[in-house]
Amino acid sequence: MKLITHNMLTSKCLKGVITGYPLAITATVVKVSEVEYNPEFISRIIPKLDWEVLWKAADSIGHNEGLPQTIDPKFEDNEEFLRKAHKVLLEVEVEEGYLTCPESGRQFPITKGIPNMLLTEAEVQ
Amino acid sequence: MNETKKVHKKCKRYAARLQSSKGVICCDKPGINIILCNVGQATGLLKDDIVNLLNTLPSVKLKKFIAEKGESYSYLVFDSEACALTFYQNYNGKKCFKDDTYLYMCFVENVPNTEIICPYKDPEGLCIIEEFISKQEEQKLIEVFDWENEKPNLKNRQVRHFGYEFRYGSNDVDLDAPLPNKIPKECNIFWTRLKKYDINLEPPDQLTVNKYIPGQGIPLHVDRHSPFGSTILSVSLGSSEYDWQHGIQPRTWDPIIDHRTLEDGQRVKVVTSETINREMRLSLTFRWTRRGNCDCIYKTLCDTADTMSTNDLDDIVASNLEELHVHQVYEQISRHFSSTRHQAWPQVVGFVRDTPPGAVLLDLGAGNGKNILKRTDILQIAGERSSGLLNECKSYIDEVSAADCVRLDLLYAGIRDGSADVIICIAVIHHFSSQSRRIQAVATIARLLRSGGRALITVWAKDQTKSNYLCKKKENVLHNNSTVEVAGINLPVHENRTQFQHKDLLVPWKLRGVKEDKLADKPESTLLRFYHVFEEGELEQLCVSSDLIVEKSFYDEGNWCVVCKKP
Repeated sequence: MKLITHNMLTSKCLKGVITGYPLAITATVVKVSEVEYNPEFISRIIPKLDWEVLWKAADSIGHNEGLPQTIDPKFEDNEEFLRKAHKVLLEVEVEEGYLTCPESGRQFPITKGIPNMLLTEAEVQ
Repeated sequence: MNETKKVHKKCKRYAARLQSSKGVICCDKPGINIILCNVGQATGLLKDDIVNLLNTLPSVKLKKFIAEKGESYSYLVFDSEACALTFYQNYNGKKCFKDDTYLYMCFVENVPNTEIICPYKDPEGLCIIEEFISKQEEQKLIEVFDWENEKPNLKNRQVRHFGYEFRYGSNDVDLDAPLPNKIPKECNIFWTRLKKYDINLEPPDQLTVNKYIPGQGIPLHVDRHSPFGSTILSVSLGSSEYDWQHGIQPRTWDPIIDHRTLEDGQRVKVVTSETINREMRLSLTFRWTRRGNCDCIYKTLCDTADTMSTNDLDDIVASNLEELHVHQVYEQISRHFSSTRHQAWPQVVGFVRDTPPGAVLLDLGAGNGKNILKRTDILQIAGERSSGLLNECKSYIDEVSAADCVRLDLLYAGIRDGSADVIICIAVIHHFSSQSRRIQAVATIARLLRSGGRALITVWAKDQTKSNYLCKKKENVLHNNSTVEVAGINLPVHENRTQFQHKDLLVPWKLRGVKEDKLADKPESTLLRFYHVFEEGELEQLCVSSDLIVEKSFYDEGNWCVVCKKP
């Protein structure tokens, strides 16, 4: 699970849960692998993310990579920032661990890099 | 080594094997129970064979013979220890049967209780009149209706119609084409005699005669009822020792049904371990054809309009059906399925290619990820329910820098509202078995799209005439009309590469060619996937019901496709 994906996951389909966001990450295995850098993509995707959630998620697994907690208005021109953001968004991956719903405490396992968001019939609204 | 020791050794070996594989505990101490280690229902042992052996020992009284289905051993329960011992001493290690099989046995402490108590009452409205006709009348009717055995014209049974033909292909009756052969006049005794039971019926106009020879049967089913009135008159001729459960096991024997009173006074039927050999049986089913629509109360079972049959499925039933015939099947076929799905469809590739840079794309029901393009300028998230397919997907997208996998269910997708610029949902929604679940699936797509976002949705079309799916050679293949009962509904099984006959059906997937897969090449390797195939315009309606604007809709290679936009 990449941190960019985590930014969109929620447990709000759980019965009784209102927002279910953000999910806390507990990582037992984190993998960092190099992937192709596309500054245009990073610049365009950042405004679509919840930056605070991203920063806290990265920090919670020890990979904030020196990123600022808030975004500079002219971040598109900051090459160093974009590279760091690229790394945090796409190169850091949680291989094993679990996500925890902030309201109910329900855990969602992450196995072989895939978060399992399936719910049982009894758990859904 | 002398003979006795040899036999003893052999029995010991059987006992050890039975204990390790079946958990049967044999004992040395004689008792009333004996296990026949090497003969049983699976080896073709008949109760008559045992009766023949007992005939030579007049003092020995047998209480019970238990031959469980599929087992190569069986049990005898005797009246007393002395009877058991006599039987043991006379026959253990001896050639006992016509085919010169040696019989090996051991004493056992316990025998399984194979009796089944049926707590169910007879169906409401059912009236059973036993011995309604005399033996002579029965014989006469058999002469009227019986015919030379022929190859079953339906799967595992033979059928004839009088009055009107019940057409199994379309499951209906053509009221404009009555048959030349009417219901024979010999049947008139039924309606005249029924008047004595205060049952006044007009003579029926349609008769179906099913002939079952020993070993033939009929799967559990719900009768197609909308072409007919509400009364059915059924007469059994010949062998008929069976319960009212609506199906007949294809075998050569039947259990004897005993009627008993329980301690609390309740009358129940008990399926005993005693059996009786089956003989030829003729079943006459008289019905009254009807004109106009069915007005019955059985919403989930009614077949009035095919489109209605599963639309109102209870959510729990629908969910169970999908668990069995969608989720579990994809888990089992994932590797083989994936090996047959290499290329994305051109229409899908075109749609994903046109996605602008910086977009967030969700592929819901992504399968093995074949629709994920190798682009670095969009985020592509593959959501899939099958873990087997997801593993294939994960390794496939490994080289794509901005792609990721999530295991999710389309109905309860754990993704934030409005997070997608583009969604593709390819060949997924036809796997939902109720209308409300299909609506919910499209509603999820609408929920996940941001305002102005677009989705491409495709489903299987009922009409396959303009695709390569149909096989020319199969154009004239007679439909076998086999059905499978799932969660209380009867679903037709589709004949692959032919035009769809139904809207809700099971499509066989034959597992093969994947060597690592243990299932391959075994008889059980045909798995059935549930499909709801779409009529023209049906998918558009689902989109509109979720307030999506349909921008484009088209038919492509047997699929209905829409591009829709969230306002």
